[in-house]
Amino acid sequence: MANLATSKAGSDRNRTFLMILIPVLVLFVAFNTIPLLTGFFYSFTNSKGYGPFEIIGLQNYIDLFQDARVGNSYLFTFKLAVVSTILVNVLSLILAIGLSSKIKFKSALRGLYFVPRILGALVVGYVFTYFFTYIVPAVTGTDSILASADWAWIGIVVVLVWQACAQTTIIYITGLSSVPEDVYEAGALDGATGWDKFRYLTFPLIMPSITTNMVLVMKDMLMVFDQIVAMTGGGPANSTESISYLIYENGLNNSQFGFQCANAVLFFILIAVVSIAQTKFLNSKEEQL
Amino acid sequence: MASLSLEHVGKKYPNGYEGVKDFNLEIADKEFIIFVGPSGCGKSTTLRMIAGLEDITSGTLKIDGRVVNDVEPKDRDIAMVFQTYALYPHMTVYENMAFPLKLRKVDADTIDKAVREAARILDLEKLLDRKPSALSGGQRQRVAMGRAIVRAPKVYLMDEPLSNLDAKLRVQMRAEISKLHDRLGATIIYVTHDQTEAMTLGTRIVVMKDGVMQQVDTPTKLYNEPCNLFVAGFIGSPQMNFIDVKVSEKGAGVALTFGSNTITLTGPKAKALKDGGYVGKVVIMGIRPEDVVEEHEYAEGRTLSETFPANVTVYELLGSEAMIYADVDGGQISAHLSASSSVRTGSKINCSVDLAKIHLFDKQTELAIAH
Repeated sequence: MANLATSKAGSDRNRTFLMILIPVLVLFVAFNTIPLLTGFFYSFTNSKGYGPFEIIGLQNYIDLFQDARVGNSYLFTFKLAVVSTILVNVLSLILAIGLSSKIKFKSALRGLYFVPRILGALVVGYVFTYFFTYIVPAVTGTDSILASADWAWIGIVVVLVWQACAQTTIIYITGLSSVPEDVYEAGALDGATGWDKFRYLTFPLIMPSITTNMVLVMKDMLMVFDQIVAMTGGGPANSTESISYLIYENGLNNSQFGFQCANAVLFFILIAVVSIAQTKFLNSKEEQL
Repeated sequence: MASLSLEHVGKKYPNGYEGVKDFNLEIADKEFIIFVGPSGCGKSTTLRMIAGLEDITSGTLKIDGRVVNDVEPKDRDIAMVFQTYALYPHMTVYENMAFPLKLRKVDADTIDKAVREAARILDLEKLLDRKPSALSGGQRQRVAMGRAIVRAPKVYLMDEPLSNLDAKLRVQMRAEISKLHDRLGATIIYVTHDQTEAMTLGTRIVVMKDGVMQQVDTPTKLYNEPCNLFVAGFIGSPQMNFIDVKVSEKGAGVALTFGSNTITLTGPKAKALKDGGYVGKVVIMGIRPEDVVEEHEYAEGRTLSETFPANVTVYELLGSEAMIYADVDGGQISAHLSASSSVRTGSKINCSVDLAKIHLFDKQTELAIAH
């Protein structure tokens, strides 16, 4: 009798779980898994995105490695991602330490520094485009850096870093607040102050936050798209063409649907490999707390 | 090792709350001083002010004659053992203990020698490569002690170091700390709310309440001559019995009346009551449970009072002895009995008190009148 009651309660609970789970699963499969598999299929075709197509095997993948424009987009994207990830993490950590110290208006300042996170990337991109195109040249008397094939990427880095710092800082603040105060007090008595305190206590103890932030920011930066659309459209002379932007531009607008699907698959694998490698490496630096 | 001097030390928080008020204490070299008191009495705050983790808002703190109010914690040459141990979670036991020396740029050989010596004293030799997360509470506690020992500081501060351990381990570590004090010849200031720890470890005990120092004395003196009602009630377990008694003259002495019972008191205590003008007034009589004697108990060498009847409401057998809690006319009383006593819950018994052990307190000021 008791067993029966338990199993009935159990099945009721299971039904609740299923009711929560199934709609999400349906949506996820419909808008994520099916497009992914479809894209994977199209990567073996010469589809233009419309009309008839043929299956051409691995030809798209072979072509990818011989296409200079694709190669350039990979170089540009990785350069951008590495520089931005390092800058974002260094600046955010400094900001987080500042915002975790005993200062006035701490809550207000934390809120203020989070604002970039809630602004749309496109909006921010357009605002900074205006800033680089009109305000900076007016003040310095130089040309807009966005018009220079050599320097336009710096402008994009500035925007990316400015916006990404918001969330990264919050994660670092959380990490810093998880370090027990008594460890710092013991450190103060043992002589760990200033730089020693950061080097020997804070840094190793927030390693989990560093891992999270490095992986998240790197992934976001590799997938940079909105800022490119808003600021340069990939120019000048394709110098700021990110991988995502190239996939979108040539896949949907320039009839290379099949080819760019192959590019997307390659890109997906690369991001996965980079993220896993980062996690593995940084996890090995994390301490068992 | 070192002497400490706290002169009019106070702690006032920005919101106006005074955590510690006018604290004065001279601590000699090699003393084992205990700060004891209930939660929030300011004992930990005082310790943290000595450590430099809290600012001193008034008064002076001197270590070996040098004023250290504004000296950084690391430059005060003190080591602290925290209640939570505060070990560095990312370092091994060895690294934890070596850390303070490493920061002082001590050479590796000296560090190694100091760490291994401390590990030997504390029986940590086999655990040197472990991280704190892989240690038991007792082992972590020993590592925290080790980290303090390697520095050979002037003063050791210990903030309830045993309160997170289970009862058995606590007794064991208490003995270890006592041995350590003898061995190191160190000046130790130790905070606890456990009066057993205070009584067993301290050379002198500081009893605190609401940020105010109540009494500083040796354990024996504190137990036998508490200066006020709070100290009398705080030190000793189970706590001292307190009964309101009316004082009246009776021949050369005085009679202490509670309910329909009377105890006759002569000698210096009676004189103190008379001289203090307490005749005709109500005072508080304090008597420890071991000084309440049931009529069948062994009482040779004691000067007993008149007996008074009591109804036993609770009987607790503790093993080697028993405790009773009983109602008497005019109050309640607890008493120690031998384990062989036939008294049980519901028994009607006759008790008396050891006249030499009666404490008398003023009902208004709560200060001791006589012991």
